[in-house]
Amino acid sequence: MSTLPLVAVIQFPGSNCEYETARVVREAGMNGLVFRWNQLSELRDADPDAFVLPGGFSFQDRVRAGAVAAKEMMMDIVFSAAAGKRPVLGICNGAQVLVESGLVPGWEAGRVEAALAANHIAGRSGYLSRWVFLHARETAVLKSPWLGKLGTSPIPVPIAHAEGRFVFWEEDLSRTLPVEALVYCDENGVERPEYPTNPNGSVHNLAAVMNTDGNVMAMMPHPERAFRLWQLPPWIPGEWGDRIRMSISAGTLADAPGPGALFFQGLADHFGGGRHE
Amino acid sequence: MSETSILVGLKAPDPAAMTALSTLMRISPETAPLHLSRYDHWRFTGPGAVREFVSELVSHYTDIVNPNKQTWSFFEGETDPILTDPGMTWAAVLVTDRVDSISENWTGILGRRHRGVESVGYSVLWRLGFSRSVSLEDARDRTMTMAVTTHRDRGLLANPVSQLIELLGTSKT
Repeated sequence: MSTLPLVAVIQFPGSNCEYETARVVREAGMNGLVFRWNQLSELRDADPDAFVLPGGFSFQDRVRAGAVAAKEMMMDIVFSAAAGKRPVLGICNGAQVLVESGLVPGWEAGRVEAALAANHIAGRSGYLSRWVFLHARETAVLKSPWLGKLGTSPIPVPIAHAEGRFVFWEEDLSRTLPVEALVYCDENGVERPEYPTNPNGSVHNLAAVMNTDGNVMAMMPHPERAFRLWQLPPWIPGEWGDRIRMSISAGTLADAPGPGALFFQGLADHFGGGRHE
Repeated sequence: MSETSILVGLKAPDPAAMTALSTLMRISPETAPLHLSRYDHWRFTGPGAVREFVSELVSHYTDIVNPNKQTWSFFEGETDPILTDPGMTWAAVLVTDRVDSISENWTGILGRRHRGVESVGYSVLWRLGFSRSVSLEDARDRTMTMAVTTHRDRGLLANPVSQLIELLGTSKT
């Protein structure tokens, strides 16, 4: 039996990023295993240290993205683990499931207090697939087990979604700062509420929201698609573009880590190399 | 000013309605409906948005109604035949995105090409059928409870943070 931290990657009907997500978990030095949504006893017996809800779809996004998966019994296990402060990450469709589960922002756990609505920003709507820059809020770096290695410098990560616009009730807009995890910005870290810096119209330029304890994070960009430096396009500006060019010159591009690796290496550091007690 | 609404449904059983019904039966077994249908609801408004013109629009724009897989009918609101089917107590809710790019886009497209249409509104209509023994008031309460998602285990059909929910009415025949 592995002594490495076990990260359960949950596969719902329609998930399509589970295997690459489990793979980057393993490459970051942890044990990444895929569990189907109906493998309830197997998941309970495995008692994972952390959970990732990967990208793709769930139940064909019928009714509303994430709405049906949020009510699955599998989410009872995730909910209990989150209450016990275990790290939970939702990526894209996984983020939609966490929002519909009421796990984020989690001012009252289980109460649905936000939505990931259809992309809508001046001149743009519909599905988006492109590279964006984002950076972490300082408080989030300190609280979130996923962001410990990220710092607050801007990083490029791809997005691919039609419903990624974080919205809250009007009366909650003034209290979101403690749960703001990642925000869209340009390559210099400057936030702007206009396209293309904010690609989908998300309030406060939000790319990720966490719960008040910081252990649960719902993010729309895909860090697993930026795990290796070679996954980044060569035209990326800023520091990460410089890294690509230097790696090409040095012949090290094949093994160089990309910005997405920081999320999973941060989690591995959080566990200190072993399983929970 | 005229206003004409239509409902668009699948010819085959609607998988979203089937999944929604089975989910409601699981999370609210005591109050779930016996029947659930889902329709695209389109509302055309403008001086020329009369039935004949809307019929022409619908036959022209297959993005609104794809005749290979969908059927459509005019929608009469609370007195519509789909809400007065005999044998059950019916209720319906209309779910509309608070910020709705589908309506905006179609308003732009039809507004440029057809002077008679000033706005287009897109929503989803869910029709819930309960046992005849369920009172109209109870059907209304159950419908709103199942439509408005307040908690992980309460409500499904709409997220009120981003969507408007309108109870259209109930009938018992």
